[in-house]
Amino acid sequence: MREVSYYPGCSLHGTAREYDESFRGVAKLLDIGLHELEGWTCCGASSAHSLDEELARALAGRNLALARRAGRELLVPCVACYSRFKTTATQEQEEASMPEGALAISYALDYFCREEFRKEITGKLVKSLAGLKVVCYYGCLGVRPPKLTGVKQYEHPVHMDRLLGGLGCEMIPWSYKTDCCGAGLMMTRTDVVQKLVGRLAAMAREADADVIVTGCPLCQANLDTRQDGSEEAIGRAIPVLYFTELLGLALGHQEVKKWLGRHIIDPAPVLSYRGLL
Amino acid sequence: MENKVGAVMVVGGGIAGIQASLDLAESGYYVYLVESSPAIGGVMAQLDKTFPTNDCAMCIVSPKLVEAGRHLNIGILTATDVEGISGEPGNFTVRLRKHARFVDTAKCTGCGDCATVCPIIRPDEFNALLSTRKAIYKRYPQAIPNAFAIEKRGEAPCRNACPIEQRAMGYVALIRDKRFAEAYRTIKEDNPFPSVCGRVCNHRCEEACTRNELGSEPVNIMHLKRFVTDWAFAHPEEIQKVYAAGVQKALAAGGAGKKVAIVGAGPAGLTAADDLIRKGCPVTVFEAQPAPGGMMRVGIPEYRMPYDLLQREIDEIISRGVELKLNHPVEDVTGLLKDFDAVFVAAGAHLGIKLPIPGNDLPEVRIATDFLREVSLTGSSDVQSKIAGKRVLVIGGGNVAVDAAMSSVRMGAGWVGMSCLESREKMPAHDWEVRDAQDEGIDVYPSRSFKEVTSHDGHVTGVRTVDVNFRGFIDGRPDFDEIPGTETVIPCDLVIFAIGQKPDLTLLNNKVETVRGRTVAVDKDTLATSVPGIFAGGDVVTGTTFVVDAIAAGHKAARAIEAYFTQEDKETRIWPPVLESCEKLPEAKLDPDQAKQSMEAASQAPRFVPEKREAQVRKRDFSEVEASLTEEEVIEAANRCLECGICSECLQCVFACLAGAINHDDREKMVDIQVGAVILTPGFKTVEGNIRPEFGYGVYPNVVTSLEFERMLSASGPYAGVVQRPSDAGHPRKIAFIQCVGSRDTSCGQDYCSSVCCMYATKEAIIAKEHAGFVEPTIFYMDIRAYGKGFDAYYERAKSEYGVRFVRCMVSRVRENFKTKNLVVAYLDEEGNILEEEFDLVVLSVGLVPSREAVEMAKRIGVEVDVHGFCKTKPFEPTSTSKPGVYVCGVFQGPKDIPETVSQASGAVAEAAGLIASARGSLAVKKTYPDELDVAAEEPRIGVFVCHCGINIGGVINVPEVKEYARSLPQVAYVDENLYTCSQDTQEKIKTAVRENNLNRVIVASCSPRTHEPMFRETMREIGLNKYLFDMANIRDQCSWVHMQQKEEATAKAKGLVRMAVANVSLMRPLHEQPVAVVQRGLVVGGGLAGLTAAWNLAQQGWQVCLVEKEDRLGGSLWDLHYNLEGDDVQAALRELIARVTGHPAIEVILSALVTDFSGVKGNFTTGLLVAPAMYHRKIEHGIVILTTGAQESKPTEYLYGEDARVLTQLEIEGRLARTAEDMAALKQVVMIQCVGSRDTERPYCSRTCCSMAVKNALKLKALNPACEIYLLYRDMRTYGLMESYYTRARKAGIIFARYEPEEKPRVINEAGTMTVTFSDLVLREQRVLKPDLLVLAAATIPRDNRELASLLKVSRTAEGFFLEAHMKLRPVDFASDGIYLAGAGHGPKLISETISQASAAAARAGTILSKEKLLAGGVVAVVEGDRCAACLTCVRVCPYEVPVINAQGEAEIDIIKCKGCGSCVAECPARAIDLLHFRDSQLVAKSRALIGMA
Repeated sequence: MREVSYYPGCSLHGTAREYDESFRGVAKLLDIGLHELEGWTCCGASSAHSLDEELARALAGRNLALARRAGRELLVPCVACYSRFKTTATQEQEEASMPEGALAISYALDYFCREEFRKEITGKLVKSLAGLKVVCYYGCLGVRPPKLTGVKQYEHPVHMDRLLGGLGCEMIPWSYKTDCCGAGLMMTRTDVVQKLVGRLAAMAREADADVIVTGCPLCQANLDTRQDGSEEAIGRAIPVLYFTELLGLALGHQEVKKWLGRHIIDPAPVLSYRGLL
Repeated sequence: MENKVGAVMVVGGGIAGIQASLDLAESGYYVYLVESSPAIGGVMAQLDKTFPTNDCAMCIVSPKLVEAGRHLNIGILTATDVEGISGEPGNFTVRLRKHARFVDTAKCTGCGDCATVCPIIRPDEFNALLSTRKAIYKRYPQAIPNAFAIEKRGEAPCRNACPIEQRAMGYVALIRDKRFAEAYRTIKEDNPFPSVCGRVCNHRCEEACTRNELGSEPVNIMHLKRFVTDWAFAHPEEIQKVYAAGVQKALAAGGAGKKVAIVGAGPAGLTAADDLIRKGCPVTVFEAQPAPGGMMRVGIPEYRMPYDLLQREIDEIISRGVELKLNHPVEDVTGLLKDFDAVFVAAGAHLGIKLPIPGNDLPEVRIATDFLREVSLTGSSDVQSKIAGKRVLVIGGGNVAVDAAMSSVRMGAGWVGMSCLESREKMPAHDWEVRDAQDEGIDVYPSRSFKEVTSHDGHVTGVRTVDVNFRGFIDGRPDFDEIPGTETVIPCDLVIFAIGQKPDLTLLNNKVETVRGRTVAVDKDTLATSVPGIFAGGDVVTGTTFVVDAIAAGHKAARAIEAYFTQEDKETRIWPPVLESCEKLPEAKLDPDQAKQSMEAASQAPRFVPEKREAQVRKRDFSEVEASLTEEEVIEAANRCLECGICSECLQCVFACLAGAINHDDREKMVDIQVGAVILTPGFKTVEGNIRPEFGYGVYPNVVTSLEFERMLSASGPYAGVVQRPSDAGHPRKIAFIQCVGSRDTSCGQDYCSSVCCMYATKEAIIAKEHAGFVEPTIFYMDIRAYGKGFDAYYERAKSEYGVRFVRCMVSRVRENFKTKNLVVAYLDEEGNILEEEFDLVVLSVGLVPSREAVEMAKRIGVEVDVHGFCKTKPFEPTSTSKPGVYVCGVFQGPKDIPETVSQASGAVAEAAGLIASARGSLAVKKTYPDELDVAAEEPRIGVFVCHCGINIGGVINVPEVKEYARSLPQVAYVDENLYTCSQDTQEKIKTAVRENNLNRVIVASCSPRTHEPMFRETMREIGLNKYLFDMANIRDQCSWVHMQQKEEATAKAKGLVRMAVANVSLMRPLHEQPVAVVQRGLVVGGGLAGLTAAWNLAQQGWQVCLVEKEDRLGGSLWDLHYNLEGDDVQAALRELIARVTGHPAIEVILSALVTDFSGVKGNFTTGLLVAPAMYHRKIEHGIVILTTGAQESKPTEYLYGEDARVLTQLEIEGRLARTAEDMAALKQVVMIQCVGSRDTERPYCSRTCCSMAVKNALKLKALNPACEIYLLYRDMRTYGLMESYYTRARKAGIIFARYEPEEKPRVINEAGTMTVTFSDLVLREQRVLKPDLLVLAAATIPRDNRELASLLKVSRTAEGFFLEAHMKLRPVDFASDGIYLAGAGHGPKLISETISQASAAAARAGTILSKEKLLAGGVVAVVEGDRCAACLTCVRVCPYEVPVINAQGEAEIDIIKCKGCGSCVAECPARAIDLLHFRDSQLVAKSRALIGMA
């Protein structure tokens, strides 16, 4: 049993409940003990960091202090939270107010993509997802800036592809893995967002993908709700899944349908068509 | 001064290194040209074409390669690195690391037969990894040295782990290609008993297999060997064929004829016998048993090792002439020394041991060795009767115990059990063996101690045992506790002890020392016993071990006995003998990246498990238990090999090489070499394509680097010159070039400009377009830096003639269309629009970086490098490193193109030669030849030598037939054929044949005169024949290679070619070259920086110099410059240089002098001067002349220049900045306009220095007054190379750079005293109006008046009036006329450092003439038949060297000293009055007639 601290952030308690549920479900199947960080508060991602540097640091810093006290590796499923935490922790280190390695902070996707899990998952596979055509969407903050994330292939990441490929999915090489989805302008400039999301969806369709898979609650929400921009897209919207949902499906989790039911674009038809539901 | 060494080391064999070597060698110094790869040629050899002339790179570099390769005074050391330098300038000791090449370049003829048979395929670096080559390879077809090299990573772990160093990887590699017969030969090289080792070996090779470390299972090495041996026995004729085809490996024969006795016909004895008989020693083998094979025959049961297979391997050894005496036990080995010169005792360990327990002497108690021997020798029936139905208990837990138990089962025992001291897990037998035994119904009782053999009536009834916990052996004694109360009797009728064997040492007769009476005592390296002449090995020395160890002992004994025989004859007899052994290669280890690559490239199949016969069936007979793998399985299994060693050491190259050039025992060596100076030219690498990951290099197949594209364009490249996409071999239409990948990019630490990419991309675009007209190239760039001579015109031509599209922007990223694999390039255009455009292919113009190896070398030898790794130099000493006596040139000094590299190379030569001038000629090799025989009057007697070229010619053309045909031709007096006509021993053969047969003409029918004619001509001279009485018939390149499939026709064509050569050679006449004395004085015309530098360098080299300057002071234009970008004081440096030059005793400076007349030829010119103020005439005789007449800043005619005092040129403001700095500091706003008078229709060239000069002066202004606003209006900022950092600095300093289009130049007006500059700002998209205090114009650089001089000297100029060099790329400081050189801005605008390099270069080139006392002229030259000449001037006009003149008789006259023999005039002369010697019309007619069969 591996024991980790878990920082769900606001998304996973709100719009991305299926991410939270599938995350917990998969963790259980893989013997990961999730300990939700007691007393966690806002990470400061949405607006604080662009308004008040001190406040941004304090918000993230408080949560980091809690995590350090808990003494376990900190898993963060939302890239915005992750980026805030990494930024703050790096600052702390640079200023030497905290020793290096005082706290291990991991983006949940990276965590599952570790070699040990990939092997373990192969061993525990209940259902092969063969036939499902997948494009991975990594977005921005999960891989960038590389100095912060430590991701080497930040332009052409492949770790999620490898993870899902291990489930049997047909991974489609895709040039749009790290293109902007516009989540930062989600509320303020829907016109821009629709253009960006519309293009991502169009490119995924051109690549013959069945689903887009991501590990970011903001990308998912954005892609799930803003695909209806162009006329020709209607009726051809592509479902956007969390990688944890596919993991759950492949590992035979009982509640997969419940998670999938929370999506705006219903993934059930395509999954049924591929014989996976 | 006297201890200077007259040799120079040039480190790096690219074009710079080659040029430097040639110049040095021609100037009287010996050169060591050190190159780390196996061939010289560098990157230039990889290029397709060169800009701006579109010459084929290989075509122009290849002659230089050949010249360097053949030069007597250039020693080429390939595969060599510099380790360190000690000593002082003029006398260095350079330590070199010579890597093992494994091919002797002196013997290798480059025929390539080895590569044909090599089974290892590797990516080809020369083709930028786009194609493959073999592990034995020549870097490229024209490589010099024309020799192969073998790529090895080390000794493969499988071989390293094997006692006999079996080349496992070798036969595994051959198996992949189904080359089983060749694999068999590879196996047999190390192992006379592969059938045995393919079955019963403990295969340490598999334990060592790298796959084990990578979490995989080892390759089935043993099973593969078994398959090959089985196959070999089934296909004897194919095995014979393979042996007959290849070279027989010569075995060193020491002591041939000495007699050897071998005691014991086991694996050790027979191996030694095999080795020794092949070395010519008569061998007698004494064997006590009735059958040979030792333990292989009497110890291993037949169900594991079929005896017929063993017997065949033994028969093979016996058939070589070994005398085998069976049933012949030896009682006293020392006695054998009476009849034999040496004895090898290999009697094995056949004595069994019983436990000392009660009842061990009962009749039914047996010993396993005896039992197994009985079973194997007497056949089953006899033994069967004793065992059938009996209960058998075998005591022991090893392999022998299992063998005894399973044999008992097959003998029909009623019940069989095994019992041993060890626990089940710790049993010495393999786990699978014990399980096999259990499968056959054998009961196993582990962890027992044995108390007694119980009996009744003197017959065995059982064995009493007690349980123990056995912990292992301490000093050979078992360590265990008995467990009380566990005593029990295992009932049985027969007990077989299998607890070990020992040698029977009675044959030593107590005369040979032993180890405590157990084994024979030997010296471990030589197996020598205490008695001289007697050796011992195998089980008799080691106790029971494995077959492969015994074979190893046999090999070792044979080597030692040979050494003993050789050394015995010496005065001091040595015992034990001394073995010479080859140092082992280090084991090949894969780093994680290599391991990953190898694992991916290898077969993904799991290890193969051979089938075993069903236990219940197999236990009934002695047929083999384990089946062989199938052919398909074997090939797949072999494909699992990771090729750790790279070269598999399969030895096929050795067998294929008829020249005997391959030496797998070659090892790295350290060598010290004395030189006076060192020139570093290690060149560069291109940056990795993925330095900017957003362009997708390495992810998208159709994104390639420019070097890859260069190979794709090349006719000798991976696609044979057809431009195609890597993804689908489709022909790309739209090709995008992305510039500055890894250049001008601070984000990746590459903040300098790579200088060449703009031009090479333009060239590649043009060439791609020439390959296929439909190609639409687009170049995405920041600035086009076409700053070199003729570059801007080339760029304009690319746009206008070829339609290459240039888009100024930075590409933000490249995406791939998933389906088409097309690439979508995203960029921001100048209007600020985000655009996307689809292309079929994207080429990344990757920048240049110094190689890591070069930087490491520099650090090792104490040469400083800058932050990027480029060698640090100073502007006034551009070729001097931080270490005196060590010079640098080429890209390692800074990014530059080929002409500058070449001229800098010559520049470095001048410096190096200046340092060691006193030692010139001391080490240069001079060859003397015998007096020439006068054969002019003799009838032709022709010798024809037809070459097989290994199988290159002989494999296609019937060489003996061609030879006989040649004999039938008229005037042919002698014919012969050779394996390799070019080899050294063949030269001697040719000489003998010439001498003995009084031949006076020679023809070699072989390969290309391009590479080989000079060598054969050398042979002619060595025997005293005129070298022009020789001809070649190219029956390889132009016959056997191109008609490989049509053997008969090729033979007929070869005859035709020989016929033509015979017709030609019989008409050939001896030609003689005339010696012309050289005046060892140089004339330098022009006393500016170039002239001063050239004069200084010439004088330093030891020549007299006359420096002529038109003005009344030296220094020229340099007086107008005050500082450079780096901040040096230019005037101080100039004053220092002038002082040096005027103070040099060898330099005479003549001021205020004009050249008035000029005559003579190279080595011997006369120039007339008119010297002011006295206006007297002077004649100067000199051997060479260097023109350094320089250039000047033009006077602008626009932008109010000359009308308004506030408008200055850059030179003018520089003067003011230097003289009246305080006035300049007061300026509030300054505007600079670039390209004033340059790059326009009148002067379509770039003045090259103005961008950096403007940046320099702008920075100076900013430094004086940071508040001063400076606007710099430009077209393309051309701060190339390392100057880019000053451009960056200028932008950071707040200087505003605004681009303007030539169609919309800035407007400057004077409005009522206010100067206004209006220009359209392309970034802000608006008109800007400035009112500066000062306007500075970058006026064009124009040549000084040189028209008259050029016409006097008959040298060419460009349309713009700059001097025109002989060849833009490779002869940048030579004029087409020999002996006349150029340097400095008179050649084209250039920087101080470039001028200095070029001036030094001219001096070095001049040194190649001045260093010779005499020059030879004539030979192949055109001669005029005066009577026929009509003085039509055709020849005068057509000659590219301006040689013909119409003389006083009104006839054309061609000076033989100047004529280059190109034949242009001969072809053009309408009166046919000119003939080219050696290629006379009569010869060509005769050849043509011979071709069509006319007599």
